[in-house]
Amino acid sequence: MTETNPAGFEIRDYLRLDLMPHFMCPGCGHGIALRALLWAVHELGIEKDELAIVSGIGCSGRVGGYIDANTYHVTHGRPLAFATGLKLARPDLKVIVITGDGDCLAIGGNHLIHACRRNLDLTCLMLNNEVYGMTGGQVSPTTAETRLTTTTPAGNTEPAFDACQLAEAAGAGLVGREVTMQTPALRNLIKQGLEYPGFSFLEVISDCTEIYGRKNDLGESAEMVLSQKSDMRPEAYGNVADQPFRPNRLLTGVLARNERPEYGETYRRHADGVANGGKAGA
Amino acid sequence: MTTDTASAEVGERQQPGAVADPRTRNVLIVGVGGQGVIMISKVLALLCQTQGMQVKQSEVHGMAKRGGVVFSHVRYGAQVWSPTIPMGEADVLIAMEWAEGVRWLPFLRPESGVFIADTQQVIPPFACRNRQFGADMAYATETPAEIIGRVSDGFALDAGRMAEELGNARAGNTILLGTLSATLDFPLDDWLSVLNQFVPKGTEEINRQAFLLGRDWVEKARQDPAGPAGLAPELAPPPIQPDIDVRLEITAEWCKSCDICVKLCPERCLELDEQQIVRLKDPDACTGCRICEWLCPDFAIAVHHDNLAEANA
Ligand code: SF4
Ligand code: SF4
Repeated sequence: MTETNPAGFEIRDYLRLDLMPHFMCPGCGHGIALRALLWAVHELGIEKDELAIVSGIGCSGRVGGYIDANTYHVTHGRPLAFATGLKLARPDLKVIVITGDGDCLAIGGNHLIHACRRNLDLTCLMLNNEVYGMTGGQVSPTTAETRLTTTTPAGNTEPAFDACQLAEAAGAGLVGREVTMQTPALRNLIKQGLEYPGFSFLEVISDCTEIYGRKNDLGESAEMVLSQKSDMRPEAYGNVADQPFRPNRLLTGVLARNERPEYGETYRRHADGVANGGKAGA
Repeated sequence: MTTDTASAEVGERQQPGAVADPRTRNVLIVGVGGQGVIMISKVLALLCQTQGMQVKQSEVHGMAKRGGVVFSHVRYGAQVWSPTIPMGEADVLIAMEWAEGVRWLPFLRPESGVFIADTQQVIPPFACRNRQFGADMAYATETPAEIIGRVSDGFALDAGRMAEELGNARAGNTILLGTLSATLDFPLDDWLSVLNQFVPKGTEEINRQAFLLGRDWVEKARQDPAGPAGLAPELAPPPIQPDIDVRLEITAEWCKSCDICVKLCPERCLELDEQQIVRLKDPDACTGCRICEWLCPDFAIAVHHDNLAEANA
């Protein structure tokens, strides 16, 4: 009971009410992800002034703008780069990056691997809806094979990325995945990410109902949300040969931990050394 | 599943027929998954075999993992034909869960059956089907005193707590086995040596103590039915949740008619109105579970538990 009770969590307290209702389509999973994020922020007692949200371009990029805190809406694919600079300059801030599958893995793929490599204390929330929704529904790096998009009218032929495996291999300190349907579990995962002293990469499986769902006949919003549940069942995973490839969608929770030094710490130590006339790395 | 343990290999088994009391006796053991019903029936079956009797045992245990019903029929005597006990013919009914005991009562011999029950309650999800705050639970309401008064000979004990006090919460079934032993005519040493073969390595001593505890409990209860040992513990199913007022706050201007809340509300108490805006159709059915609040991508529903603090106080 206490576990799932928001205990005084009023989402309105964290929203820019003058911008509401938000611009996202009916049934878009990004709204649920935003709730989970704000719920986690509330439960950790993070002050709005200490909170900085950096987001890129795309539907996911717009999510950050509704949060009543310090928010940055930056260039396509670069939220991690901006966030890295911000966190190094202002280590006192809690910096959260909200990005999407296209923003993070395609346009910003390079920044992602290097952010993972550095292991700077950031929390990266990648909202994965398998498509470029804002620009009209083009194929993205996580679009499952055979899926229809405006740029793959006969079905996608490219294999999809498993973003979590990528982040783990690149050295992210904490890697996790959750679906929007499990809102309290998603909140818990985000809390873990926020508390982790290093780079946490969290993939959120979200639904694009209006564009991707409709194009692929995945049902209405409610059916898409429910299918997240059946996708997590092992038996639904069973016969891969008969189903479009969905890279490990079913594994949720914390998937990997890499115990590595936090970069901000290292950076400040070396910077102090240089300022005192020494050499970096000394 | 039916097992004919009569054909199992047992050392020094006497031939059927050489038994002092040739009548067939019936022991029915019931409980829910994970409580050790099968262990009790195995101990009893092997014990009877060492006494030169024929034993038939049949059980249903498939639902064990889900906390489902488990029962085991043990029949022994000079010659046993059917592996199952007919209604009204169990000489002993031993229940490891209270409601299961009550449920299986019709199997007990009305005039001479012995009823032994753990008062432990394992409340099945099914009993919580009414998800309203403050709702009653559909669980056996009979008190131990009522049931004991209804059977010819009955014992209700809190074996779970006794086992905990003994230092191993898992020994509850051995305590009940000890209780059972006090109602059947087999030598104590034989009980203990068979028991030893079934308990996990390293727990022999605690199981021996648990067994004797259950056995002595019956002796004490017989001597002094009104004494602390004989008194059936009071029990009543706990309420599911405190009585809380649920209020749904709908921000109509934010609703985008996506239908998620309508289709995912477990009580189906929401609907879209003529304007395709969400509306609480059936306020009485709403349990305040918050699923609509969590899954509305547009924050159009807020669920308030108004007197939660007082209810928990
Ligand atoms: S809180 Fe919402 S989902 Fe839960 S029963 Fe009430 S209307 Fe339905
Ligand atoms: S989930 Fe929210 S937006 Fe969708 S119909 Fe319900 S109240 Fe409206």
